[in-house]
Amino acid sequence: MTEKMIPLHADQDEHLCMSRRQFLLAGGAMVTLAAIGLPGEVWAAPLHALKASYPRTKIGSLSALKKGVPIDFAYPYPNVQNILVKLGTKAGGGVGADMDVVAFNQQCPHMGGPLQGSYKDAFQAIGPCPLHLTTFDLTRHGMVISGHATESLPQIVLEVQGDDIYAVGVQGLVYGYSAMTAKKA
Amino acid sequence: MKKVRHIETDHIPLPPKDAEVFTTACDYCTVACGYKVYRWPVGKEGGSKASQNALKSDFPHQNMLGAWVSPAQYNVVSHKGKPHNVIVVPDKDATVVNNGGNHSIRGGTLGQKCFNPNTKTRERLQQPMIRVNGKLTPVSWDLATEAMADISKYVLAKYGEHSWAVKMYSYQYFENTYAITKLAMTSVGTPAVAPHDKASGTNDATGLDDAGIDSFSSCYEDWQMADVAFLSGVDPYETKTTLFTQWMMPGGAKMIFVTPHKTMGVAWAEANNRGMWLPINIGTDSVLHNALARIIIENNWQDQEFIDKWIAKPWEVDSGYGRGTRNTGWQWRTTWGTWQSDWEDYKKFILAQEESKLDVAAQITGIPAEKIRLAAEWIAKPVNGKHPKTSFMCEKGNYWSNNYMNTTSFAALGLICGSGNRPGRMISRGGGHQRGWMGAGGGSGWLNPEKHPGRRKKSFNLDRWLMAGEVKFAWVFGTTWVAAMMASDAIGARMKELTNGSPHQIASLDRSAIFETLKKRVDAGGMVMVDSDIYPCEPVGTEFADFVLPAATWGEDDLTRCNSERRLRLYAKFYDAPGEAKPDWWAVMKFAEKMGYTADGSYNWKSSNDIFEEAARFGRGGVLNYQPLVAKAKEMGVKGHELLRTMGTTGIQTPIRVRDGKLVGTKRLHDPSNNWGEMEDSEVQRHFLYGFNTFTGKAILLKSPWKFPGWIQFYEAVKPRAEKNEIWVTNGRINETWQSAFDDRRKPYLDQRWPDNFIIIHPNDAKKRGIESGDWVEIVNDAVYVQTGQPQGVLDADLTFNQLMKDGHIKTTVGKFKAVAIVSDEIKEGIAKSNFNTPQSMANAVVSAVPDPMTNNYRYKLGRGTLTKVGESEYKTDLTRMSLKQRHIV
Repeated sequence: MTEKMIPLHADQDEHLCMSRRQFLLAGGAMVTLAAIGLPGEVWAAPLHALKASYPRTKIGSLSALKKGVPIDFAYPYPNVQNILVKLGTKAGGGVGADMDVVAFNQQCPHMGGPLQGSYKDAFQAIGPCPLHLTTFDLTRHGMVISGHATESLPQIVLEVQGDDIYAVGVQGLVYGYSAMTAKKA
Repeated sequence: MKKVRHIETDHIPLPPKDAEVFTTACDYCTVACGYKVYRWPVGKEGGSKASQNALKSDFPHQNMLGAWVSPAQYNVVSHKGKPHNVIVVPDKDATVVNNGGNHSIRGGTLGQKCFNPNTKTRERLQQPMIRVNGKLTPVSWDLATEAMADISKYVLAKYGEHSWAVKMYSYQYFENTYAITKLAMTSVGTPAVAPHDKASGTNDATGLDDAGIDSFSSCYEDWQMADVAFLSGVDPYETKTTLFTQWMMPGGAKMIFVTPHKTMGVAWAEANNRGMWLPINIGTDSVLHNALARIIIENNWQDQEFIDKWIAKPWEVDSGYGRGTRNTGWQWRTTWGTWQSDWEDYKKFILAQEESKLDVAAQITGIPAEKIRLAAEWIAKPVNGKHPKTSFMCEKGNYWSNNYMNTTSFAALGLICGSGNRPGRMISRGGGHQRGWMGAGGGSGWLNPEKHPGRRKKSFNLDRWLMAGEVKFAWVFGTTWVAAMMASDAIGARMKELTNGSPHQIASLDRSAIFETLKKRVDAGGMVMVDSDIYPCEPVGTEFADFVLPAATWGEDDLTRCNSERRLRLYAKFYDAPGEAKPDWWAVMKFAEKMGYTADGSYNWKSSNDIFEEAARFGRGGVLNYQPLVAKAKEMGVKGHELLRTMGTTGIQTPIRVRDGKLVGTKRLHDPSNNWGEMEDSEVQRHFLYGFNTFTGKAILLKSPWKFPGWIQFYEAVKPRAEKNEIWVTNGRINETWQSAFDDRRKPYLDQRWPDNFIIIHPNDAKKRGIESGDWVEIVNDAVYVQTGQPQGVLDADLTFNQLMKDGHIKTTVGKFKAVAIVSDEIKEGIAKSNFNTPQSMANAVVSAVPDPMTNNYRYKLGRGTLTKVGESEYKTDLTRMSLKQRHIV
């Protein structure tokens, strides 16, 4: 990963360059998530037509899930990145025998920071977001623990059929969206 | 009662291209991020293409830091009686404060603050009310203010001006604070006025003032330019969010956090090798500061060049703390020889102190010696012959535990490191509320019974005055009073006794009958209370007040104030206030009419702009001087508010100056580069602009002896008692609802996060008491001290704790509250922390109300109590509300 060199303030001779992380933190610039080399696939961020309603999509199976090891999936659109994780403790909206399997979006609903790779198994929490340090409680519907997101982390509604796990909806508004489906709320 | 979980909507209407746009700033914390409001009639909606909406952005997108509206930023409001959509979003175009649209969770939910009868904001007060037979009954503004004036006239004539009191916010916009102080201090002429956060109108960080340092001398950029930030009693991430996330995180500054609570900012800085946590025993900061100073002096790390130039010499100190023998604060409180110093004398003092020795300091502060030594290296040890650029920030953990000595020792430490008046090297408060105080002057100080020993002037303590039964009429503006002050249970009980505990209760809406009843009440030793607020205020408005007046607020009138870098902005009106709610300046004007104060043509205000312009000349000598802007507006033939509106979210930093006919803001104070020679136009050139705020322009080094009787006796008296199994029970704020809980309780998202008060307990303390996260805990202190008498000192020792106790001026009361346990090692063992100012769970109930005799400020943070599990809260199992997770996950 290369360090970007960006002048910050002309009158600050001692702070002329910033690292990539500092650049993200500094704000004031728009960066497409694809352009900063996030883990996982490269996302084009095209405008796409919204579906009329949430699809029902198979995203994994109970038997393949290991406690504390998140699995990435996109839902309900290719650029909406989420994780599916078995917390090992009962959670709001959790599915499976122990009601501990949950799924959440990975864009911080504060300013769109990438939460990928930040799951903390010891706390069943996600974060801190690299931009402004928000953390989220996955046992309580993605509620902010500490920080600045102005809604809970959007939770992907799950259903289980046999061993299969299906995504069937989204609770909340994913960062960067003004509507999740074409049908208005 | 099982609550239904709030789930955010998954659709927000976008503003159409022709939506109207207003600029404002956040209503809450001191940083005051810039915001834009888009307003358009209900029924219309912008399209998802950039060309089709006012945000000029394509939706959906996945552009980090792009334009986006979160569900909490949207609302429907009434404008000119018609429903309109509004979104309140951080200003993407901001080039100052919150560049690019940064924001906190509090400001980010401002949209939910707006009155909408379909949300919990329906609880807003909408009509003036009088309590008839115990029930608040809607009345007209005329009747309410006439009845208030009737009894006020009687009280003033019979009991004098000082029996007529005001308890008010210090910050809720220049227009309101000017109107209220004009009424109280100028027209009524009472000394009985206290701000929301203190029992008296005294200094905040008093030691800074006495050293010659303005508490808001720095600008946000200073925190980015610093090599090291020494953060005393504060994690700016929690309480000054955007200052931290915008100006401190991106810079390279190393950060030293002096606080017993390891919150996210502390944890993040440590994890990124930029931070050091000094988990201090509360109240012992002056020992830490003196120990750091000793290491610096012993190693010769001080900035001698700066000291030689900027620290007052003996003769400059002897001329009266460097201010001359005028009527100044130092003169009122100084005990000759104890505090004032010069460099040689300060050095001698530091080296002679037992408590400044590293091992002794480590023992008192509870901070390992090697950490103290390393901190001294960070802040002062020259690197390649150059002194590090260190800035010093203090907040309430510092000056609300030992008001005078923590700030005097803090200022001295910063000064010997060469800080205080240059870029990246400043000494400053971080700030609490925004700066919205514009006092009208007056106040009849000669009616104040309080005196320091030697008959020297001391500020008026309104709480003590109330406890003594001397207040006959009290008007409360937008503050809780009871929960915010110390010994909350005792002060609440006294208020109740004086108001609805009186047999004389209003029984009809007949004006003369109201007067007769209230007359009987005050003559029988009781008190009449008025509460102006936006919501029913517990318990002052809900239980005690005879009159409750509905206030209009942010977004409901054009209002102005400054933030903590003195940046003045217009907070635009964009929707109708609910019902008959009126801004407080309007209620004051109405009352002034009924009192006959308008006979000379004053209070003739048609709009808030009239007050903005009138008030300008009262701030001319101060750091919030905006008079040149008003003069410029007059010259241009526009209103003052309108000229400020053109400056949008950028505004201008006060004091405002003039150069080549143009208005120029002031970035930082005390900076010699501010000396421009000749003045222009209506500019006022005060020497605090380019020197320190002393007579000579040089800063004063102050000594802070740990064993000073005004401190050490109180500290020993309020310490946790081992035999009772007590621990410190301190109080503080939490990021998500800091300063904004009055609104947050009505914001579904934030109410779900913090539906009840918490107490954070170290696992070892919790285990000993059988407490788990989610348990209800009762906290009891059976010796909460309240000073009831002795406003005047004559001999030096008169106002010290032991003497007050001996002379019978201290009442011992019991205080308790209940909160939900969060067990986490983020808090130091032996200290528990609860939320400050929760009306139904008053953490201040276990804190003593005996003010610092040097400054008349309480020692707010020094509560103690026993912790007992009294049950399990629903949050232990309810997975929809109140996360109990620790705050320092990194």
